Amino acid sequence: MSKSTARQYPAWVPYFFLLPFLSVFLVFIAYPMLLSATMAFQQNAGPGVSEPVGLKNFTWMLKDPAFWTAVKNTTIFAAASVFIQLPASLGLALLLNSERIKARGLWRMIFFAPVLVGLPFVAVLAGLIFEKNTGLLNVTLHWLFGFDVEFPWMQEFVMPALIVAAFWMYVGFNMIYFLAALQNVNKDLLEAAQVDGANAWQRFRNVTIPAIKPVAAFVILLSLIGSFQLFELPYLMLNETAGPENRGLTLVVYLYQQGFDRGDLGYASAVGWVLAIVLFGFAIIQRMTSKTSEADA
Amino acid sequence: MILLIALLSSVAIAFWPSDEHEGLVFWTFTRHHAQMYGPVIEDWNQQAEQADLEPIQMHVLSMGALNRRTQSGMWAKTPTSDLVEIERSSVAQFMAGPVDKVGFYDLTDRLQEEGIYDQINAPSFAPWSSRGRIFGLPHDVHPVLLCYRADLVEAAGIDVSNIKTWADFERAMAPLVSDLDNDGDTDRYALGLWYTAPQNVETLILQAGGGTFDEDGKPIIASEANARVIARMISWCVGPNRIAIDAPEFSPSGNELKLTGRVVAALMPDWLAGVWMNDMKDLGGKLKLMPMPAWEEGGRRTSVMGGTMLAIPKTTRDFDTAWTFAKELYLSEDLAEQLFVSNHIISPVVDLWDKPFYQEKQPFFSGQQSGLMYIEQAPHVPYRSSSPYHQIALQKMMDAASGLKDYAVKNNTYDPDALFPEAKRLLEETESLIKQEMSRNVFIAGQSAGGGGDE
Repeated sequence: MSKSTARQYPAWVPYFFLLPFLSVFLVFIAYPMLLSATMAFQQNAGPGVSEPVGLKNFTWMLKDPAFWTAVKNTTIFAAASVFIQLPASLGLALLLNSERIKARGLWRMIFFAPVLVGLPFVAVLAGLIFEKNTGLLNVTLHWLFGFDVEFPWMQEFVMPALIVAAFWMYVGFNMIYFLAALQNVNKDLLEAAQVDGANAWQRFRNVTIPAIKPVAAFVILLSLIGSFQLFELPYLMLNETAGPENRGLTLVVYLYQQGFDRGDLGYASAVGWVLAIVLFGFAIIQRMTSKTSEADA
Repeated sequence: MILLIALLSSVAIAFWPSDEHEGLVFWTFTRHHAQMYGPVIEDWNQQAEQADLEPIQMHVLSMGALNRRTQSGMWAKTPTSDLVEIERSSVAQFMAGPVDKVGFYDLTDRLQEEGIYDQINAPSFAPWSSRGRIFGLPHDVHPVLLCYRADLVEAAGIDVSNIKTWADFERAMAPLVSDLDNDGDTDRYALGLWYTAPQNVETLILQAGGGTFDEDGKPIIASEANARVIARMISWCVGPNRIAIDAPEFSPSGNELKLTGRVVAALMPDWLAGVWMNDMKDLGGKLKLMPMPAWEEGGRRTSVMGGTMLAIPKTTRDFDTAWTFAKELYLSEDLAEQLFVSNHIISPVVDLWDKPFYQEKQPFFSGQQSGLMYIEQAPHVPYRSSSPYHQIALQKMMDAASGLKDYAVKNNTYDPDALFPEAKRLLEETESLIKQEMSRNVFIAGQSAGGGGDE
């Protein structure tokens, strides 16, 4: 930019244009963050009633078995997202990227459709599917194999039921990311590899995977963050509870229970900060991995 | 351009005329209540015009929204409603802080001074009291009876007058637990209840003299009564002598089980009788009520399930009018009649219990005087805790029940006496967890009732 162009604007102009964002950021993000950082060291009965408790919220968190149950359940869900849901999304994307599949647009639409109807709908529908006695799953299994229609999926297999519901919801969503990445894979490279005698697996491993790696890393990060923020699905499927023996308790449900059912916003803030630090850690790892990949490339 | 739009929209919002609330705002969480209150509010509003009183605006909100909005308003000290109905399962969240910081007006002194306390069935105040102070006017009593399929029971030649205890019930109803389609699976069960349903668990432990907290706010989670009930419930729900099926209320699957005769008997508070009368008309004339079987000979034949209070948030702009309306609504004979006729709920106002509408024979319950049957049990409903830890304790007790079920299945042990020691151990663990959690609460630790956090 030349000096003459720069002189056309007074120095305060950029700050003026930043003002709308900054005011929203300060009021709705920075101030609540600051307040929650303070509250994490208090016990509350609503925001108006507080007592400083030092580090007791954090020490209690470490001692509370429910917190560790929430950590375990959330980790299981995140692992299922990364190791089951994302490979399935990639598989679907590969399939629907193939020119041999007819009506690809329709199939893409079908797999993406659960995202359009929304999480509450999926949660309610999944709850009905897993219901005892009249649920679609039990009735079908009973009809096919004489399975016990009273089998309580939402009591005995809470996390698998949540994972299946989330799979249905998000497999098509993540498929779109992979599909976009696959469509950007250099076809010349694939053809060159084929000419050089590489089989389908070798082409996928040595050409496709490196090409989609940045997108895959991004999708993994999104999935991890989304998994650690899991709330609506268990909350709706388990009728606003965490299920028997906290089998469906996730970190955000735990945070919500503490903050809004018990009114201890201080403790909920402490849980929120622990969660934020964990997610920040994932983001750092993703950044480092991306930089390593870029350096390798 | 973006900045201009932002500025214009901000100015527009700032000056946009908002909906002005004329009069006092009253929130309820069910349309059934709203339908009953409609005529009373209409009368009030007509009188209000002449007497220069504030009219009442009633709104029906879903229970979750009502609780969140009330709580948020109290926290932010912004106006929400002037009167609000709170359901039993939600009340604990409003009682968690110091007693003087509870967001509802303390009505204790007014109730005593105006003689209302003596007019109302005493146990009905318990759920709405915290640390000796009363924060709401009770809407109901909700005594529980046992409802059974008279057509099936009488056809099997069972005389229910011989059923005095749960052990009698098990023995008498055993022949009705049967495989109706000869496919090898049991289809019909004697009882519709389940160990994971909080209302079922609470109703039975209260009947047995157990509960979550005593009147001084001390945990009684690991009491013998609770352990005995949970052990017995597990023996009802699993194992070779199973007599119960999970037939939840307000669910299509639960209703289907009841309508098709797969459930012989169920716990029946007065409000649920109203729900069945409205939602399952096909059962009309096939049902009868009886006092609940006791846990031991001569024991309590009723319990209590659910409940609602009318409270006045401290953010109301006119307490006196809200209080006058609250009394007119909840103490009115007309409303008591409406409450019973439309929802089969009996009023907590003792003076009204001899009114003729309670004496009427109900065709739905095979011509029984069901109102009278509920009133007979009303004075005997057990004490219920209002501890802020009640719901948590109840939830954890159900977790203990789930743990006991797993133990029973793993060890192939279904006899309630054999399950009792494990039930006691699990409940002791639960009580210890609750005590630890209570000890964290700096606001109620050491306070006389509703707390007990000095462990």
